[in-house]
Amino acid sequence: MPVRRYDQPQSQGSALKYVGAEVTAVKSRKLVAGRGQYAGDIYLDGMLHVAFLRSPHAHARIRKIDTSEARAIPGVVHVLTAEEVNRDLGPLLYTIEPEGMGAKRAQLFALPPKKVRFVGEPVAVVAAHDKYTARKAADLIEVDYESLPAVVDCEAALEPGAELIEPEWSDNLLGSRDFRSGDPDRAFAEADGVVKGTVRTHRYLGTPIEPRAYVVNYDSFEGRLTFWASTQHPHQLRACLADTLGLPEASVRVIQADVGGAFGLKTPFYPDEALIAYLAYKLGRPIKWIEERAENFLAGGHAREERLHYEAAYRKDGSVTGLRVRIIADVGAQSTLQGCWMAYVTASCIPTVYKIPNCEIRLQVAVTNKCPWTAYRGFGKEAATFLMERLMDEVAAATGIDRAAVRLRNYIQPEDFPYHQVSGSILDSGNYPAAMTRLLKMLDYDRFESEREAARKQGRRIGIGIAHELMPEGCTLPSSLISGYDGCTIRVTPSGDIKVLTGVTSPGTGNETGIAQIVADTLGADLKRIFVVQGDTEICPFGLGNFSSRSILIGGAAAREAAVDIRAKMFKVASKMLEVMPADLDAEDGQIFVKDARSHAVSFADVTRAIYRESYGPHALDFEPGLEVTRYYRTPNVYHQPQLHPFGGFSAYPSWPYGLAGCVVEVDPETGAVKILRYCYVHDSGKIVNPLLAEGNLHGGFAQGIGGAMYENLAYDENGQLRTTTFYDYTIPTAVDLPHFEVEHQETLSPFNPLGCKGVGESGIGAPLSAICSAIENALPELKLQLRETPLTPNRVWGAIERARRAGNGKA
Amino acid sequence: MISQEYEFFAPKELAEALAILHRFAGKARPLSGGMTLVPMMTLGVAQPEAIVSLNHIAGLDFIVETPEIIRIGAMTRHRTLETNTLIRRYLPLLSEAASHIGDVQVRHRGTIGGSLSHADPAADYPPIMLVIGARMKIANAAGERWVAARDYFKGLMETDLRPGDLLIEIEAPKLAGRFGTGYQRLHRIEGNFPIVNAAAVIEQGFRSARLALGGIGDRALLVEIEKHLRNGFNDAALDAISDAAYAVAKDAPSDLNGDTEYRRAMARVFAKRAVKLAAAAIPAN
Amino acid sequence: MRVPIEVTVNGKAHRVEVDTRTVLADMIRDQLRLTGTHVGCGTGSCGACTVMLNGRTVKSCCILAPDVDGQEIMTIEGLADDPRHLHPIQEAFVVNHGLQCGYCTPGMVLSALQLLNENPHPAEAEIRRGIAGNLCRCTGYQFIVKSIEAAAAKMASKK
Repeated sequence: MPVRRYDQPQSQGSALKYVGAEVTAVKSRKLVAGRGQYAGDIYLDGMLHVAFLRSPHAHARIRKIDTSEARAIPGVVHVLTAEEVNRDLGPLLYTIEPEGMGAKRAQLFALPPKKVRFVGEPVAVVAAHDKYTARKAADLIEVDYESLPAVVDCEAALEPGAELIEPEWSDNLLGSRDFRSGDPDRAFAEADGVVKGTVRTHRYLGTPIEPRAYVVNYDSFEGRLTFWASTQHPHQLRACLADTLGLPEASVRVIQADVGGAFGLKTPFYPDEALIAYLAYKLGRPIKWIEERAENFLAGGHAREERLHYEAAYRKDGSVTGLRVRIIADVGAQSTLQGCWMAYVTASCIPTVYKIPNCEIRLQVAVTNKCPWTAYRGFGKEAATFLMERLMDEVAAATGIDRAAVRLRNYIQPEDFPYHQVSGSILDSGNYPAAMTRLLKMLDYDRFESEREAARKQGRRIGIGIAHELMPEGCTLPSSLISGYDGCTIRVTPSGDIKVLTGVTSPGTGNETGIAQIVADTLGADLKRIFVVQGDTEICPFGLGNFSSRSILIGGAAAREAAVDIRAKMFKVASKMLEVMPADLDAEDGQIFVKDARSHAVSFADVTRAIYRESYGPHALDFEPGLEVTRYYRTPNVYHQPQLHPFGGFSAYPSWPYGLAGCVVEVDPETGAVKILRYCYVHDSGKIVNPLLAEGNLHGGFAQGIGGAMYENLAYDENGQLRTTTFYDYTIPTAVDLPHFEVEHQETLSPFNPLGCKGVGESGIGAPLSAICSAIENALPELKLQLRETPLTPNRVWGAIERARRAGNGKA
Repeated sequence: MISQEYEFFAPKELAEALAILHRFAGKARPLSGGMTLVPMMTLGVAQPEAIVSLNHIAGLDFIVETPEIIRIGAMTRHRTLETNTLIRRYLPLLSEAASHIGDVQVRHRGTIGGSLSHADPAADYPPIMLVIGARMKIANAAGERWVAARDYFKGLMETDLRPGDLLIEIEAPKLAGRFGTGYQRLHRIEGNFPIVNAAAVIEQGFRSARLALGGIGDRALLVEIEKHLRNGFNDAALDAISDAAYAVAKDAPSDLNGDTEYRRAMARVFAKRAVKLAAAAIPAN
Repeated sequence: MRVPIEVTVNGKAHRVEVDTRTVLADMIRDQLRLTGTHVGCGTGSCGACTVMLNGRTVKSCCILAPDVDGQEIMTIEGLADDPRHLHPIQEAFVVNHGLQCGYCTPGMVLSALQLLNENPHPAEAEIRRGIAGNLCRCTGYQFIVKSIEAAAAKMASKK
């Protein structure tokens, strides 16, 4: 099937004036003044507040719930339990149907009718006149639990005889997937050497500073439900709410308030969302709920925690010829969130940027009695990067070849694109060797050895590490509302102002600014006259919101398609007014002019005047009235029907941005404390629409990547109790803990996107895990450390150093 | 959020505060900065029947000197201790420790009295109190008493304070002139409690020397080091100090920030580092 | 238990009755409807609730509302009332992209104000320490630091 390619990305539209420029974010002025409108800032008359009673057990049968004491408290309006809510509501809707991914489904309800499966799972909900009363009453609900064995280890979960978490299933395996290419057995037989081991990512989460927050109102006379949410996905949330509540989808309106950070976490469908909507519907009163931080840790959705057992066959020249990987992902309890699919992405990204002809990749996704995974920036790609980068470092150590040289030896070359990986993924474009060369220059890599020795003479142990991350974007899954299309409406007013309504949303990163830039350049309009509206299902075209860096990649492309049509129509009218052919026209700053005679021009307002006020006049009569267009864009380079493709398989991502991180750290061998002295990054996500916003986004990715590598950790004990439920224990890096970042961009345009964009939102988060491990190992070469687990706390690093000193090697 | 109801008192006089604390017999909590108590109430860990705010009582927030000692009111905010010139000159360890507590906002509000009353085993102040030879003045409805720092810290978040008691003042001898001091801490992120901390005070000529460690037991503990320095400051002395610190840390806790083995090893490292710093800081004259 | 208190917020005197369980942040938001003060953790860690109490930054989620009787408070709304006339620190945040989602920003701006009041020419490390009580998940802090550096330069040149 021919795949659409965009060889001349800017063939339609005006010269780029705003795209590529550092335009400041349009919302900043209000946000910096504290005048944002987050969901928690909404107050409605007669509003009730809710509090959730959450399970204190990781796994337990619910025998009986006694709500009498809670109901007796003055100010309590309603106490909701499974018995009532599940009489009225159907099962929760999955935005990604498990069957589409070949996985098992569990029928899940807003409140669990029989048993709880993780600490923090909602068990009952109280609505009261104020939040204090609601909380107090929730704590007075008495639940009689019969404790069941908690399954907290993902490998033990898959053993025969393990306690079953989903009673309808025969085991705790949610799903599995296998990819194979070449002849791995032969590659291993013919190898000069084999490295093997296990890489583990630990459990951590997105942690936006704004927790989840919602206000709901049901107008029973009109039969309309309005749901203000801190969400990334208004349309999906609308679908979920309508389906679960049994309301007509068109009677539900979801409005995205300003979002105080999301990072994947604010994607539906949480049972909490269904429950507060139900209470508003049932009670006929507005409901407000703002999640508390401890609740976010317990039940807001987790991420990471994968074990990757690997063995790799290599040749003496450093080329890796064979790879076997077995991934076991601990996705927590099954849920209607989208997190568990991150494990599939890990598997489908291996072997990332390397050409390894003989691969065998096996994924097993296990459910456990822990908080379900929800989407989180990185979406599984970070684990694939961690594995492949640790592996490249290990091959370098085994062969005695420099770490950069080993990577250069194994890279997919620029001329190999589009490149088909073992999973069926098609990597669109890239120039990895050039990016590596650039990074090495930034780091002054060749001189580092002597710097390290000089520092060592002064008693300081410094080391350098590099890592290459691959961050595919534009995620598109079958049987889901996670897809590669989106809509945009452009509506030009009679005075020539331009309203842009998008189906994509902003989680707080400012993509509305980038979309305005794209529309301005496509039309040749003045940026100040463009107004972007997002996140309201009532007024925006159907679209899939924000995930997988799609807002510019797909939403920007949809906006561009719509702007191309608007431009064409305006040019037709202008050509009548100027008595030239449309092809002779160009536009800039809201003026449409004749290319060879710039002064021969009409303004946008002249054109819109002709369209709206002189519809029967000489210039507009030949055309349909109005100046409004809705266009949908669907990304190419994705396929869900293996039979249509010569390679078979399955490709979920159209776009494959990547980045190379290099860092210099200082290690205190006595304490295991690590300080990052330099952090460099070469970034290639194709065309950058707004370098200022893109760089800001990257910095955030580095911060979260370093946070995960060194500081952040969700720790469960052997009973499935979460030990980290505050920011005292879950340590997010402060400004003091993070280094100054140095960034360079390389722009290899994607041939599969009309703008050449690849998506920037997740870049930066994947590389720190391995880059920092690599730098620590390099700082103490005599110990031959092999760091395979995170977070790199002082205790863990010290432990590795101690073991290496005692044993003479450093496997840790 | 705080869900339990409680009575709130904001007395203007100390005597009134003490009377209320007496009346509630341990079920009222005095509130100073609230940087620990209010989060504990928010998390439901503390559920007092009454709160007695000390923020409206005059005369509990002071730093004064006499020829020999520095007197500090219990309501003195961390930020004041961090920046006050008397403290910086005569008790530099204390200003150093104060500068590491939480962050600017927390230091603006939190008080030394509150921190010492809470007595977290890894807090910044306790080892300092031990090595500077501080005394605590405790008041209650019946009267006042002084308790030496080494008798004040009793166990895990346990002090000499009994129901109805209130810590109102801290005093310590001035440590300028012939003393060298050193404070070292290990932490995960800026603003966190230390995993392990160590404070040392050494007198010229090694006539006296004190070392205390935090984060290595249920409370901050003194390590006997004077005898090891009798023959001067050398590698053998440091090794002996390291061994002594390791022994003192035998009951070090184990948690996500550090297991027992690690904390004991860090007791060695930070003992040596604090002593080295203090020794290097002894004035030459 | 409800307690009547008098408090001055952004120069305006208010008499409000508060439930003793109310923390200052909630009083400011729910009763005075000044929603620029945000709550991110409720335990004094994230700094989104930072306000000025008697001229010094504090975390308003860890201060009981009844305890501010007779005190003076400034919130982010008190810093600028008119989008055309932002404070130079706010202006610098806009120009240097010192914010993304904006949730931590009001607290961050007030911490920057506190810092520059005391130290008009801070070094980068001093800026980083000055905002260490304000967590940001979007920016990695770098453009925040840059914004504060720019604001310091601007404010110094105006003096």
